[in-house]
Amino acid sequence: MTTLSGEASINFDSYWQDTLDELTALPPAPEVQAIPLRSTDFATAYGVSLTSIGPYRLYAYLSIPRGEGPFPARYYLPRYGSVTDLVPQGTSNSQRREHVTFAICVRGQRLADQPYAAAFPGLLTDGIDDPMGYVYRGIVADCVRGVEYLASRPEVDGARIAAIGNDLAYTTAALCAQVTHLVCTPALLYDTANLARRTSAYPLEEITDYLRLHPEREDAVRHTLSHFDLRRFASRVNATTLLMAGADGSALDAAALAPLIQAMPGEVEVHKAEHSGYKDGRHSEEWLSRRFGMAEASLPAHWRG
Amino acid sequence: MPRVAADQYVSKVRMPEDIDRFWEDTLAETAKIPLEPEVVHDPLRSTERIDVYEVFFTSLDRVRIAGWYATPRDREGKLPGLLQVPGYNMEPPVPKAWANKGYAAFSVAPRGKLRSNRQFNPGYPGLLTYSMVDRNTYSYRGFYMDTCRGVEFLLSRDEVDGERIGVTGHSQGGGLTVSTAALRPEIRAAAAGAPYLCGYMDAIELTDAYPYQEIADYLRMNPDSREQVENTLAYFDGINLAHRITCPIIVSVGLQDSTCPPETGFAMFDAIASADKRMYAYDGHGHDANNHEHGAIVDDFLAKHLRP
Repeated sequence: MTTLSGEASINFDSYWQDTLDELTALPPAPEVQAIPLRSTDFATAYGVSLTSIGPYRLYAYLSIPRGEGPFPARYYLPRYGSVTDLVPQGTSNSQRREHVTFAICVRGQRLADQPYAAAFPGLLTDGIDDPMGYVYRGIVADCVRGVEYLASRPEVDGARIAAIGNDLAYTTAALCAQVTHLVCTPALLYDTANLARRTSAYPLEEITDYLRLHPEREDAVRHTLSHFDLRRFASRVNATTLLMAGADGSALDAAALAPLIQAMPGEVEVHKAEHSGYKDGRHSEEWLSRRFGMAEASLPAHWRG
Repeated sequence: MPRVAADQYVSKVRMPEDIDRFWEDTLAETAKIPLEPEVVHDPLRSTERIDVYEVFFTSLDRVRIAGWYATPRDREGKLPGLLQVPGYNMEPPVPKAWANKGYAAFSVAPRGKLRSNRQFNPGYPGLLTYSMVDRNTYSYRGFYMDTCRGVEFLLSRDEVDGERIGVTGHSQGGGLTVSTAALRPEIRAAAAGAPYLCGYMDAIELTDAYPYQEIADYLRMNPDSREQVENTLAYFDGINLAHRITCPIIVSVGLQDSTCPPETGFAMFDAIASADKRMYAYDGHGHDANNHEHGAIVDDFLAKHLRP
């Protein structure tokens, strides 16, 4: 039983252990298909299908450098939206020369939208009245399935597997010991119900919309969200971490994230956002390349010099 | 070799002689199709101050297009209309923030976006290169018409003042802002951020990042199609459409933008016909193009011209 200030206790550990047990009971049954259109003279791209809890069939993009491995791996967790890219928009495709990259489409996203096609807006509140029925339980499990598969690949250096993304990168690092490095920008799953009250921007506005229409369900919503609050996952994150905090004064700045940072047992560097995709992106690329022992960072041309 | 300064870059994009005819024909073909708007109030997304509606209308090829429409409840007289156009791999947002500022705001989901993808769904990646060898069936022919029909939707609304219609967006939304302002003379003000769809063929030499990398992928597999691809894309290039823009317009770029290279934004800006144009180039910024601070400039610019 764990508690957060002002919230009722929940069986957090058993909730996630049961979820992981459910996942373990299902074979991943991978199918791997080359994608010549996205392959280059330095990397081969594949589409990978995997089974997660439900059971539900997922899709992922895998890219493997040509030449001798093992290679460090970048596991890209999905942002909030229907599209997962082979590598994130705006990052250099040259990262595929020296890294295995893996990007997963979780349930509801394009390429993993049969039979469940998520709505945006809509995903964040789908099943939110009930921890067992909340769609994010499956999504977190989907992300775990992905790293299990990635770590099983012989081309991957098991000492250098980075989870990169928003909240789902964090939960994945917490639930999977295979993740050695974490680059995380918390966005949605940190004190979510209260965070939603401080903004009118989507996707958090989905929570406000839902509670405006169903005010009597607020306790149930808070109860469900408690199972997904990053603060509850923090003590499990042992990966070497770059935490991308919001700029000072923003809802998720370093001060707001202090409880999260203090609860993490592993090494954590905090970077305060500079309101610049270039500066923040370059910082995370250089941080990861240093931690992976790479000769130089994989920077797009406009980020160099 | 050091890069040429972004504002000194010379685009290699060539202007098709019949580009205006091509678009006039396409607009005329679209105009023959009834709009058939359907407007459904959405109580889940509406608030005490804002009404939100799901909208559907018919566009080129009779593809049914979706969108979100938001209006302020407390209003006197007609409202200015604002078309919000989406980024490449994002979902069109519910435009409550614009309605809160006094606009009748329509956020269109062009073909292939969720809720507009039943009849056409090339996916992401995929949209950028779909039928890229044929200007008459290239994905963006319909896509551009869908955003233009968004203007028609606003014009069809009793609460909207047809003399005060603007368009804004970032990234692909910036590119669609350019194309919509070029193709719809009803647009009175346009604010384009980090515009995509400008200098397509330049971009694949300037950056190795997606989404433009989709074109490089395609040409690697289909090297013999390069001339056809260049010829097709020239009709859709914002650089070649900018000469049709006569309304007030502002453009922003980040000088370290690896997604939509600033060189292409400058080339498009130089080609804009309007005398009332201004470029905001932000050093130290990437694809964000300093949205954090530039947002207030966009607000002021649109308010000056559209008077919410």
